[in-house]
Amino acid sequence: MTLALLAQSILNGLAAGWVYVLLAVGLTLVFGIMNIVQFAHGEIYMLGAYCSYFLIKLYGFSFWEALPLSALLVGLLGIVLERFFFRPFRGRFEPSIIVAVGLMVLLQTTAVVGFGTSTKSMPGIIPGVLSVSGITLSWDRLLAILVGIVLVTALFLLIQKTKIGQAMVAVSQDTDAASLQGIDVNRISAVAMVVGCALAAIAGSLMGSIFSTSPFMGTSAITKGIAVIILGGLGSIPGAVAGGLILGLIDGVVPPLLSSTMASIVGFGVIIIVLLLRPRGLFGHE
Amino acid sequence: MSKGARLVKPASYTALILLLFSIPLFVKGAYPLHVLIMVGINIILTSSLRTIATTGQISLAHAGFMAIGAYASALLMMKLGLPFWATFLIGGIAAALIALLVGYPFVRVRRVYFAMLTLFMGTVIRLTIMEWRDLTGGTSGLLGIPPPNLIVIPGLLNIAFDSKVPYYYFILVLVLISLLFLYRIDSSRVGRTLLAIQQGDFVAESVGINVTNFKVFAWCVGCFFAGIAGSFYAHYIRVLTPDSFGVMQAIYIVVYMVVGGRRRFSGAILGASIFTLIPEVFRGLKEYQPFVFVGLLFIVIFFLPEGLVSLPEKVRARIRKRRGISLGQS
Amino acid sequence: MANLEIRGLTKHFGGLAAVNNLDMNVNQGEIVGLIGPNGAGKTTVFNLITGSIRPTKGQIMFEQSDITGQPTHSIADKGIVRTFQLTAFLQDMTVLQNVLVSCHLHPKAGVWEAIFNTPGYKKKEQRAFGQVMGILHFLGLHPVKDELAQNLPHGHQRLLGIAMALSANPKLLLLDEPLAGMNAAEVRESLTFINKIRSAGITVLLVEHNMRAVMELCDRIVVINFGCKIAEGLPDEIKRNKDVIEAYLGAGEHVTC
Repeated sequence: MTLALLAQSILNGLAAGWVYVLLAVGLTLVFGIMNIVQFAHGEIYMLGAYCSYFLIKLYGFSFWEALPLSALLVGLLGIVLERFFFRPFRGRFEPSIIVAVGLMVLLQTTAVVGFGTSTKSMPGIIPGVLSVSGITLSWDRLLAILVGIVLVTALFLLIQKTKIGQAMVAVSQDTDAASLQGIDVNRISAVAMVVGCALAAIAGSLMGSIFSTSPFMGTSAITKGIAVIILGGLGSIPGAVAGGLILGLIDGVVPPLLSSTMASIVGFGVIIIVLLLRPRGLFGHE
Repeated sequence: MSKGARLVKPASYTALILLLFSIPLFVKGAYPLHVLIMVGINIILTSSLRTIATTGQISLAHAGFMAIGAYASALLMMKLGLPFWATFLIGGIAAALIALLVGYPFVRVRRVYFAMLTLFMGTVIRLTIMEWRDLTGGTSGLLGIPPPNLIVIPGLLNIAFDSKVPYYYFILVLVLISLLFLYRIDSSRVGRTLLAIQQGDFVAESVGINVTNFKVFAWCVGCFFAGIAGSFYAHYIRVLTPDSFGVMQAIYIVVYMVVGGRRRFSGAILGASIFTLIPEVFRGLKEYQPFVFVGLLFIVIFFLPEGLVSLPEKVRARIRKRRGISLGQS
Repeated sequence: MANLEIRGLTKHFGGLAAVNNLDMNVNQGEIVGLIGPNGAGKTTVFNLITGSIRPTKGQIMFEQSDITGQPTHSIADKGIVRTFQLTAFLQDMTVLQNVLVSCHLHPKAGVWEAIFNTPGYKKKEQRAFGQVMGILHFLGLHPVKDELAQNLPHGHQRLLGIAMALSANPKLLLLDEPLAGMNAAEVRESLTFINKIRSAGITVLLVEHNMRAVMELCDRIVVINFGCKIAEGLPDEIKRNKDVIEAYLGAGEHVTC
């Protein structure tokens, strides 16, 4: 493998990795606070991609305008989902899974029916490449990495420094104790959903623009998202970052060397090894 | 209960079974028989998933284990020339053995993790099939799987699997045997124990129940029948692609079980039947079909949490309540 | 001969010793009380005996065989069964089913004979059923046998816990705060039951906060605080023991032993 190819593969891996991170952070956040595995999270990611696509295609927004707008719109959807689909079943394991799964099918079918099954390509973020000593690095990947770093850092600061953030920490540690302290658990859950959905929408938009957008991109996303949070540890944001980057790099570097299915197998292999050594995941607790 | 009353149940079951056996006599088309065969396959899948779920563990790998049975049986026949009756059983056993391999670590984790690990496992199985192209044909699929061998009893029977009818009878017998076995598990002490494990595994442990062993047992039995269903499927459809055994299919089986009703044994049967029939009934809707599916799911989840099978008793309870109120008023 | 010997039992959680070098015995036919202020480590001792958690150090012998660190279901098989502090039963199953499940070991039946409904299995089920009825009658739960466990009033729930433990045919019964939340009449009734249980040949070790009941019921009392044994003896001795009184008044000092 040439140096140029290696550099590009690593860049691809990091870009994919940060997209996975954005996806998984939302998933792990919702898990930590609402104690559910939001199986429809992948479809939210997909909807984010389509939202950006239509904002650009139909309303003429630029990608950088569409991105936050899509995050906002999908975030608002998150409020609806929390209020009407997840709140009634809070604390109950099985109904929560079934509802999430039902939403998954609902959203995916809506997309298939509404948008058609063909893949769409989204007008790129920034075309062109950066050349560094003979190695070409695509700008869109670089910017995906930047967006990822900025957003995750912002989230981290939100959690550490704001009252809402601290309330989220409290709820994720002990829901009953938190509500006894006067924290409105329902509100915090809504916040978690909004943040999670917004991040997923951004992840989807980035992925959709770097690669392509299809109504089925959510299914592979949720599998990837679950893989990342199992690797990183359920409920742990640092874990989502670590897990996302590890799996992203694998997905960047292994396919040129072997094949893309081998990349998935290697990824699963890594997860199984980590679980054998640390059953709670890299950063998991409880 | 009077002698007459006690006979009603077995009599109606016998009548039902006789009816099922006589269906090919008046249903002649290949298509309706195909639908019934698929109902049968789904009943086995859903009922066996329910057995695993009795301990509270939701498996999202069921489609994967069906794939193991399917590919194992098909390949054994195609590459090694073994007869169907052997490969069919080996398919189920292969699924059970692989389940056993991951069983002990899997059942020890919290239920959330179990669901996710099985989701994984299903994906790993599918990816392995896709990657092992030389053996399985990869994404292009495994084609030309032979049908089951002739059943020859000299002088008496000579059955070739060249139309839907023999397949129909085969799956009918298979369903009856499987359901009998699974029902015996459910209604015996074993079923009680599995349910107890779901309700309070530490309580179960404290009275001497080896929770881990029982969970693994339920898991392996469930996966065995998934494998068996897969084996039959392979030699019926005669083409296998890894896409038929993905995450969505596994999720669908869970939905069949939940919508039908997890609590009662018949719930799984009801769920599987309804959901196999829906796409056929709503064929015209094409890509809108899943909406019917999801619609039913949400109706059940919000209004009938114990599944469709609980509808009769809910209605009866409503009626009794109404009667009670009106009596009170008079 | 139920004979529980605990030697040097220690359990660390993180840096803290929840149980520290505990030595105690329970002899066949005794009713022994394990008491101490809140957080003294009493439930941890139970958890260690029944194998829910493994000790950091020390040994637990039952009937001359070492049961340290064995899984809970094996220990139940050896004859040690416990009740739980909070209502711990199978919520969605009836009283009858709860107790029926609890006689899993007596009589034992394999999965295959159950599945194939052999005559031997049928006989075992009948025996089990008979045993369960007996226990339900003994504890006065027979009238509510078809009620869902979660619908029972509190007092009945406690009795159900005991019924389940009895159904598992214990040689040594560990009762975890059996009198919690009971009024005087219920306490009277329970004490009668516990005495009857002892007359039936079962040894009892109980953790309990109701001091009067403990003094009245127990043959011997062991007092622990901060995981260490601070006193042991007959109820009268314990009543007057200075260290015990101090511990309960909450001197607050961490005792090392």
